[in-house]
Amino acid sequence: MAGYGFLAPWLVGFFGLTVGPMAVSLYLAFTRYDIFTPPEWAGFANFTRMFTDDPIFLRSAKVTLEYVLIGTPVKLAAALAVALLLNSITRGSGFFRSAFYTPSLIGASVSVAIVWRAMFAGDGPVDTSLKSLGLDLGGWVGDVDLAIPMMIILVVWQFGAPMVIFLAGLKQVPTELYEAAEVDGAGPVHRFWKVTVPMLSPVIFFNLLLETIHAFQVFGSAFIISNGSGAPGGQLNFITLYMYKRGFADMQMGYAAAIAWIVLVAVAIIAAIMFRSARSWVYYAGDQR
Amino acid sequence: MKRFKVAMAAVASAALLLAGCGGDPEGPSADFDPNAPVTLDLAFWGNDTRAGFYKNAIAKFNEKYPNITVNSTFLPFPEFWEKRQIEAAGRDLPDVMQFDYAYLRQYSQNKLLLDLKPYFGKQLKTDGFTESTLGIGVVNGVTTALPIGTNAWAMFTNTALVGKSGEAAYAGGTSWDEYTAWMGSVAKGGGGKVWGGTDPTGRIQNFEITLRADGKGLFDDAGAPQFTKEDLAAFWNRGAQLRATGATIPTKRLLEVAPKSGFGAGLTASELTWDNFGAGYAGDLGVDASGLALTAPPVTKAGAKDLYLKPSMLHAIAANTDHPEASALLVDFLVNSQEAGAVFGTNRGLPASATHLAGVKLDPLSQKILDYEKSINDRLGQAPPVPVVGYGSIEEKFRQLGEELGLGTVTVEQAVDQFFSEMDTILKK
Repeated sequence: MAGYGFLAPWLVGFFGLTVGPMAVSLYLAFTRYDIFTPPEWAGFANFTRMFTDDPIFLRSAKVTLEYVLIGTPVKLAAALAVALLLNSITRGSGFFRSAFYTPSLIGASVSVAIVWRAMFAGDGPVDTSLKSLGLDLGGWVGDVDLAIPMMIILVVWQFGAPMVIFLAGLKQVPTELYEAAEVDGAGPVHRFWKVTVPMLSPVIFFNLLLETIHAFQVFGSAFIISNGSGAPGGQLNFITLYMYKRGFADMQMGYAAAIAWIVLVAVAIIAAIMFRSARSWVYYAGDQR
Repeated sequence: MKRFKVAMAAVASAALLLAGCGGDPEGPSADFDPNAPVTLDLAFWGNDTRAGFYKNAIAKFNEKYPNITVNSTFLPFPEFWEKRQIEAAGRDLPDVMQFDYAYLRQYSQNKLLLDLKPYFGKQLKTDGFTESTLGIGVVNGVTTALPIGTNAWAMFTNTALVGKSGEAAYAGGTSWDEYTAWMGSVAKGGGGKVWGGTDPTGRIQNFEITLRADGKGLFDDAGAPQFTKEDLAAFWNRGAQLRATGATIPTKRLLEVAPKSGFGAGLTASELTWDNFGAGYAGDLGVDASGLALTAPPVTKAGAKDLYLKPSMLHAIAANTDHPEASALLVDFLVNSQEAGAVFGTNRGLPASATHLAGVKLDPLSQKILDYEKSINDRLGQAPPVPVVGYGSIEEKFRQLGEELGLGTVTVEQAVDQFFSEMDTILKK
């Protein structure tokens, strides 16, 4: 009894702030609701509209997937590469570790998004330096083809967090494995693929899962860089931004709630696929293979 | 001991619960004490220039009412409304708001705005208004807003840019073809750095004046659209032809300078917009009034009453305010006082209140607006009905599709379909 008493504050928060709102949002997903007037039951109308009568939703889903499927692997590859480098040096590794980690702390901030916008605008620093190299791409901010690459560069730049986790993982790899491999005549490439990657695979899996889910949540930077509109041509209209606009600009809360649930289901499916595939490529020490 | 623990835990959790439920509005106080310190939130849309004006006006207000602290915030127009919508959902709107005609019906019908009638003759003076201007802020018989000023659709030109291009000033009120030709030669003189104007595709008002030339409009009194898919496709196809000439600024450049417009960024020589945008443009461009010329938009059909005067903006008080009297005093000061008139000039439109207008020192820019509104007298028709609920969203969809057309990410046909589908959804709810 006393136990429940002490648990009560948490239970109140859990049911009042998490389970309750989620249940309400599930209900709203089946209604037409403009905030001002009570919700009206609409059945599956919101869901059918999404897939049959809303080209903006489909495009938004497409650009989000592009961003996640390209941005996440590139970010992890960068993180792993730098972690390997840092693992091999002894002097100044503390300094470099902090230096590379910093962007992941500030990368999601409003100020960085504003700086990014200015950097990639026409005649901005990026444009002028590329021009001096003979590459005249113009501004990236308003360019339909370059807007997503610009966002991917922003997210890759924040590789610090997975890098630190990789680094911790690399320290755990027993050195005798490398020594044994070396004695057997394995070069650095072989050692990387046959020792480092399998020993690191649980960490890779962890980072991949976390970063993928994280990438789906991109909002602030896209909102600021596109001035809240998802421009150019909807290229930065990521699913979270689209959901926000449907809810709070168009006052279609029911529809926005339906989108939220579809995103949740989509992310859950992707996570399930990852867990499934993990059985065949993630190696936990002590496993029989 | 065990019982004591249980009791303590219960008390603690109850306290937490109650703390979470606090902050319930206590309702307005019956008697207003002018000496009691009060803090009001004021929200408006605009740019740095207007923010400076509000700051000065609030300082003047505080000379009269030192106990009323006014916290003001501002945002560009689209973001301003997104924020208001969120606050409206939680019934937590700022005490005093600059308000737009497009949202008045929606907010009034949902009882989000304070009925101002009880404050008339007390905190709010109405002598400066005519019956018709006072009627602008009435929805279903309830006065929920007071108009600040009126404005009309107009064409701004940047005299310096026009001069540099070697082209003569735009005469105003020409045919659309002549305007296009004029923009083309300005763009030619601009050498890829300056363009003649902005593609009119994304502004629903440009579409509206072409409809009005045919005696139609956007929506009828019942809120049904008065235009067909063919009308819209024809309008957007003309935009596509215009863009192909290279006379207008590429959408890509516009996106880079946003939230400034191409005109405000000094990249285009002309722009169609509301006639009270002059001060904002002058501020963005860092020029004085002599750098801007104000003329009539192109004519679609000779003799048509395609233009109209509308309330540029209004002031409203949130129904959820804790300080209705103090808010009313602030609104009164902002719409009626000569002091505020002297500060704002015509930045918020040509003042609707006679006392407010009396304070306006007709600086060269304000004089231009006054002259302009006189000059278009024969083109002024009846104003359209109070915008339908959701008009703000419809206008924004139009703008976004205009942007996409400019970028070439949708065809005219797709854009028309999307617009009608969005509009149907909005009008249905």
